[in-house]
Amino acid sequence: MKPVSFRVSAAGFSIVEAIGTLVVSALVMGALTYGMGGLFSQQANPAVTYNGAAYTRAPSFDDFHQAIDLHTALSGAVDAADNIIVLGGTRSHPAFDPTGPSSALAENFADTALAAAAGEAGSKLFSSWDQRQINSSQFSSYLTSNPDPADFTILTVQGLSQITSVTHQRRRTAVIDGRSLALYEVTHQTVDWRSGSPVLTANSVTGTTPTYSYRFYYALAEDVWSMPPGATHYWYRADAAWDRDQEGPARVVFADPFALAGQDSGSSLSPVSRFVYFLPQLR
Amino acid sequence: MKTESHLARGRGKRAFRPGSNRGMASFAVLLFAIVSVMILMANFKLNYAVSATSDAYDAFSSQVVEKNGLSQAVKESILAIGETAIANSGGTLQQEIQNRLSSMSFGSNVTVSIDTALPVPSVPANAFYPFGTPPGSSQPSYFSASACTRPVAGMGGLFTSLCMLGPSADLGRLTVTFDRTNSASPEDARTYVVNADLFSVPLTNVDVIAYGLPITGSIPSAAPAVPPGFFGDGVSCLVTTSNNPANDSTAYPDLFASSGGERLPYQYRNAVSFSWNAYEYLWSPTYQNALLGAALIAPNAIYNFSTSFDPSNLQPFPGITVSPTGASVTVDCSAVTGSIVALVDPNGTGSVTITGSPAPGSPFILLVRNTSGVRTPVTFTGSNSRPAIFYLENSSVQFSGAPQIEGALFLDPTTTASGNVTWFGHFSFYGPASPLGTLGITMADTPAVKSALAPLAPRVLLVSTNATR
Repeated sequence: MKPVSFRVSAAGFSIVEAIGTLVVSALVMGALTYGMGGLFSQQANPAVTYNGAAYTRAPSFDDFHQAIDLHTALSGAVDAADNIIVLGGTRSHPAFDPTGPSSALAENFADTALAAAAGEAGSKLFSSWDQRQINSSQFSSYLTSNPDPADFTILTVQGLSQITSVTHQRRRTAVIDGRSLALYEVTHQTVDWRSGSPVLTANSVTGTTPTYSYRFYYALAEDVWSMPPGATHYWYRADAAWDRDQEGPARVVFADPFALAGQDSGSSLSPVSRFVYFLPQLR
Repeated sequence: MKTESHLARGRGKRAFRPGSNRGMASFAVLLFAIVSVMILMANFKLNYAVSATSDAYDAFSSQVVEKNGLSQAVKESILAIGETAIANSGGTLQQEIQNRLSSMSFGSNVTVSIDTALPVPSVPANAFYPFGTPPGSSQPSYFSASACTRPVAGMGGLFTSLCMLGPSADLGRLTVTFDRTNSASPEDARTYVVNADLFSVPLTNVDVIAYGLPITGSIPSAAPAVPPGFFGDGVSCLVTTSNNPANDSTAYPDLFASSGGERLPYQYRNAVSFSWNAYEYLWSPTYQNALLGAALIAPNAIYNFSTSFDPSNLQPFPGITVSPTGASVTVDCSAVTGSIVALVDPNGTGSVTITGSPAPGSPFILLVRNTSGVRTPVTFTGSNSRPAIFYLENSSVQFSGAPQIEGALFLDPTTTASGNVTWFGHFSFYGPASPLGTLGITMADTPAVKSALAPLAPRVLLVSTNATR
């Protein structure tokens, strides 16, 4: 027969041992839960609602997936465009508006044609500034007031007059549930001209317009970038005498829903968006 | 025999019962461990999905860059063969593309090659007077075909801004196919198809050009000053100047690389074709001698001030009247019958008077060729309604009585001009030596004149390329 004491310890815990085990387990589980919570807080996407639209917290994989769809469509539209008009951002004209931010178009701009440009000479439309002037009567009621530096509108155009896509980025700040947030909204509306008449193309899966969109937010304090979202216009020259308002490619930085913002001045690492373009005014 | 419980009670302790309670604690720990592992795996998969999606998007973006690079290579290859310039390649289009392809860099494991199963076409001739009959031309339209062109929407703003200025000829579309392979990722194999649309555009479609000669002369560092009223309504103009703000006060340093030699951005490629390269060719012996050769063939006319003439025949050609001394010639534009009149003044001893034509008529070319150091005086004494192309080399041009003239006025780098004139059509001059300080000229955009001049005008090959993947 084996010693009794051995059999007792092997058969079960004493109350003290059981309590100790539970306490230790609770501590371990608590620590793990706390660690997991911290680890996955980046993937936790508590949504907020602003102006009737849901914004998820960055980084958001769902929004990232939508962003990929949007930027693939935008790249295609840019590739097929004759002209690309970028409204908003800084330096929309080196002399008349060197610092900006200039006005973008309101998000309800859904025109499919630029009537005034149709009869213009293409040689005089080498800048988005010229396009803004020529189409001023059409744009004027849509131009945003107090634009954010991150706001812009991109129109891709064929044949001077046919708008083939409209892309907007908007940045808004708001206090929601006691938190100061920077909310980004990016939308892309495709226009289909294949039938000869323009059709605003809905999303093939969701059936909604704009064709693609994503919306997310950062904590306002984290919304600091080395290359901030927004448009920057670059110029070759501005020559009124010879009609040479010649704009170079505009650098357009879209907000990236799966990039962590928050520039750390003490770090060599800088947050940068995956979605950066140099868009030429003319292709 | 005592049981364990008896023993426990005998020691005054309460035993923790083995069985369900102990199992529940173990199960809880196990469940927590499983959930933790699952969450860790989910997190890993999420990060992997983000990475894979990012890689896929990067691959897509890289391929867009690749195909656009190939588009540019095909365009430059076509221009190397067919551009209106003083030097063209004698190679085939495939050779030219291959040369450029071999100097291009692609990502690791990526190979791009011409698809040899689909032969690379040859570049069609861009014929123009006097080397051949240019193809039929018509005013292009963006969204519908014109008589001689396809719709041009989608061919790019840099292309359409020049080909829409007047009648153009559609030389068709060339297609070149490339195979892209990635040895590390076979699923990334792609076929790039580059479509090149070629148009023949009369140089006279641009109303005003202040040209440069980068090889035989210089380029204008800045655009010439223009007097008030020089540009009439709708007048198109072209000048390609330095991009250095130090040279041209209208330039901005935004994209200017101050180190190394100055390079114009590719945005100016088509403008350079029109305002630099075409004029190198236009004033070259190749073109000028070809015009003289054409003038030797009846019913065209040629008169040389340095050779003896027949005093009994002071009207050797229709519309050409020679003075009794033989030192001056009067051209009556209304009476010229040929396509070209050439007046050769190798010693700078002659003078020319142009009386113009009050009535419209078929276009012709008037060439004043002077290779001496002394300019030939050329005086326009009357208005002209018969479109003509005036090539004036080393001349001293005077407009008398402020005439109104339809046509194209090409001034070479050494020609000077004075007086006042209203010009309907095309005017080009050497940018670094602008005559606008002494010449009072008002330009008017006149589509009818452009159309009339198109059959005789020098032409520029305009290329638009676009690639699909």
